[in-house]
Amino acid sequence: MFESIWVVLDMHFLGFLKATGMTLRLTAVSLALAVVIGLVFAFLKLSRNPIGNLLANAYIGVVRGTPLIVLLMFLYFGISEIVVLSSFWAGSLALAIHAGAYVAEIFRGTIQSIDHGQHEAARSLGMSRRLSMRLIILPQAFRRAIPPLGNQFIIGLKDSSLVAFLGVSELYSRAMTAAAANFRPFETYLVAGLYYLVLVLIFTWLVNQLELRLTPDRRAAA
Amino acid sequence: MNVIETRNLHKHFGDLHVLKGVDIAVAEGEVVVIIGPSGSGKSTLLRCLNFLEMPDEGSEVLLDGEVIDPARDNLDKVREKMGMVFQHFHLFPHKNVIDNITIAPENVKGVPRKQAKATARELLEKVGLPDKEKAWPSQLSGGQKQRVAIARALAMDPEIMLFDEVTSALDPELVAEVLQVVQDLAAAGMTMVMVTHEMGFAREVADRVIMMDDGIIIEQATPDRFFGSPAEERTRTFLGQVLHA
Ligand SMILES: Nc1ncnc2c1ncn2[C@@H]1O[C@H](COP(=O)(O)OP(=O)(O)O)[C@@H](O)[C@H]1O
Ligand SMILES: [Mg+2]
Repeated sequence: MFESIWVVLDMHFLGFLKATGMTLRLTAVSLALAVVIGLVFAFLKLSRNPIGNLLANAYIGVVRGTPLIVLLMFLYFGISEIVVLSSFWAGSLALAIHAGAYVAEIFRGTIQSIDHGQHEAARSLGMSRRLSMRLIILPQAFRRAIPPLGNQFIIGLKDSSLVAFLGVSELYSRAMTAAAANFRPFETYLVAGLYYLVLVLIFTWLVNQLELRLTPDRRAAA
Repeated sequence: MNVIETRNLHKHFGDLHVLKGVDIAVAEGEVVVIIGPSGSGKSTLLRCLNFLEMPDEGSEVLLDGEVIDPARDNLDKVREKMGMVFQHFHLFPHKNVIDNITIAPENVKGVPRKQAKATARELLEKVGLPDKEKAWPSQLSGGQKQRVAIARALAMDPEIMLFDEVTSALDPELVAEVLQVVQDLAAAGMTMVMVTHEMGFAREVADRVIMMDDGIIIEQATPDRFFGSPAEERTRTFLGQVLHA
């Protein structure tokens, strides 16, 4: 069996690597969009505007209440009705809409977790509501958001495999094609799994580095 | 002239009537100490002075003799002129000491960074922490945090300082270093209103002591009269409790 893993690796190493590039592009684009969407909806949910609240709750509720694959297909075909998009962009958009809901909840949670005294201290110094948000609350909320965001990003990386069903030739799609052709599905998916695993490990390390870099106070105290 | 003044100040939180018509006036350079039982509305009074809480309709707060109208006046500008120091410091944990002090002057007043830093260093000198400018709040003791918080408020060059139980969260051995800074400020002529349970300090530093209970001012007098021969029964009871505690 180990020999056949080598055979599969030998056959597909470069092909999988190329497909990994596509997986990374999908992940990067969808998560960058998800952060923007997440921020907007976090603010809507925190705002005192009832229509904003309703909108945010509806969006988050729908996304949380439906399986990703259903949402993906629905959005893919829905989006294709309105505009002509490549499967890459349709897939990225759908993944972003999905992850955005979770990112919104992460930001809402961390913004709310900042002690109200921080805001009051900022206001007492003459800062406007907006300035206090920008200089005092958000920087602290972002730092607190890094661990759960990192977690969500790992989920997003793995979720990107579902876009294979839209015909994007990323890692999982490549593995499916390869397995069908080489009649060694077990080894092929094992190798694909290893690729994902290595990506996740690298990513976890990066998130930890980022967290350290962004918390100089904790570094100094340690 | 009075730096700050209230007329018929009322404040409700829902059905809870917390301030029931408070009139105070603080003259330039005056040090006013407010005492009273927990829940009597002392913090709410301070917070209404700088509009962290919105006073009820019909209340008047005057700064430098001008009535502040929340609907018309820019309250951010009003707050610039009043420094506030809190019981729990509320330093900005993501900024080091010097940036805690410079962030408001730079971003609110547009003071150039270099100048803001120079002022911050002078203030750190004043509060006895010249070697801490690069430290993070998490590395400071409570007393040091509170002295940085005082420097941070002073950096906006306020006309008046509001202190709300600034030593209540401190270990006993750290109280003196903070009170010393407040006393130095008073000696330098800063106008201030201070809520505190430090009776010794009130007696020594205050120009006037105000007793509050249940949302009203019970009595006010010079420290000698206030502590020597309090006129009101409630004041005597309260003093009896805190002085023998
Ligand atoms: N934001 C608020 N919402 C509701 N009730 C409040 C709020 N702030 C203070 N109170 C109530 O107002 C009363 C006076 O509080 P406070 O001014 O903090 O008293 P003190 O500082 O004299 O201990 C208390 O009963 C307190 O529970
Ligand atoms: Mg209080």
